[in-house]
Amino acid sequence: MANSPDQRRALIEATYACIAKWGPRRTSLEDAAKAAGVSRATLYRYFPGGRDELFEAVVAFEYDRFFERLLQAVQGAKTLETVMEQGLAYAHRAIVEHEVLHLVLSTEPELLESTFAQKGVTTRTLIGEFLLPYLELHELREGVRPADAADYLARMVLSYMGAAGRWDLSDPAQVRVLVRDELLGGIAA
Amino acid sequence: MPHSLATPSSVNHSAANRLKLIDAALLCIARTGASKVTIDDIAGEVQCSRATVYRTFPGGKEAIFAAALETEVARFYSTLAVSMGRAGDLSELVVSMVTVASAYLLNHETLNAMQLSEPELVMSRLRFGQMDETLASAAAFAQPFFARWLEPERAGRSAEIVVRLILSYLTDPSSDLNLEDEAAVRPFVDQFLIPGMVASSTSQPLQQPSTTTRKKGRSTT
Repeated sequence: MANSPDQRRALIEATYACIAKWGPRRTSLEDAAKAAGVSRATLYRYFPGGRDELFEAVVAFEYDRFFERLLQAVQGAKTLETVMEQGLAYAHRAIVEHEVLHLVLSTEPELLESTFAQKGVTTRTLIGEFLLPYLELHELREGVRPADAADYLARMVLSYMGAAGRWDLSDPAQVRVLVRDELLGGIAA
Repeated sequence: MPHSLATPSSVNHSAANRLKLIDAALLCIARTGASKVTIDDIAGEVQCSRATVYRTFPGGKEAIFAAALETEVARFYSTLAVSMGRAGDLSELVVSMVTVASAYLLNHETLNAMQLSEPELVMSRLRFGQMDETLASAAAFAQPFFARWLEPERAGRSAEIVVRLILSYLTDPSSDLNLEDEAAVRPFVDQFLIPGMVASSTSQPLQQPSTTTRKKGRSTT
């Protein structure tokens, strides 16, 4: 029987639900199979690498879903300033409220390692490509090349998403200062 | 004399012994990665007995590694402080922080070896959701240097963004910008970072509505 993408997705979602409920450490392959209503053998057919491969697939799936939602959240933004502000605010809120992420970070952070190592560069490129048209539409300071600025901003967006540092990103006034002064000070004319 | 560490202990001797053992540990890690290093390797490196190692570090390998980390962080910051202290303006400060920190970390043999043998030990402090501590301690170190040209709150924020930049390029290098190269870093810093640090706020200041200090910040136009 051929593997179907739908069933693969169903297995990932069922595993995700188990992790959300019990935490990654207490989620076994049996739990995941049971939650998905399939046998262990079926689960292994989709994830021959067992628990490691299954959990990596869950993290990768959730990672992609996070950025899909982020892009959706800023779809309505018209200017460089607002897309940055809305994006940072949304991402920060989504991360703070992401219970499963915090569960994983506090119990098995190494689960995130390979996904971040594999996807980090792609994500930076993705954010940069998303920001580029906004930069091209915006009047820029003398000498600023949109592509360079896009890469710089993508790096900074990822950095502030990963750690807020001295900033309270739940405060729109602070996000505004961060974006308009700190990040776009050298870019937007 | 093979038992160079076995001399009667005085405060000076024990400090020197500690340092010898720490450097030996760093060398051993650079060769094999941290997990493979044994107390015997370290003892062999300084030609002393296991007992001498345990006398200096009763906690064994873990204690030596913790002390080695602390020593290396202190060395790193003091190297940075020397060059940052010489900066004549804000732009020079940022350029020296970026280039010296990057060169130091990229050419650190022990760190490079660990990145190959146990990357998770290195990356776990720098990656998403786990870099808060690194960010806070590095920014706290750098803030006083920035405070020569910026009011304190802004100095802290500016120090932090420079740390972010360095961490971003260390964990995700770029073929376009070599952070060790002063000639490439300077225009980048002047273009993207300095204006944000000295910007007269287009929006409301965060807390204390103080006037922006822009004493010596170099104009970038």
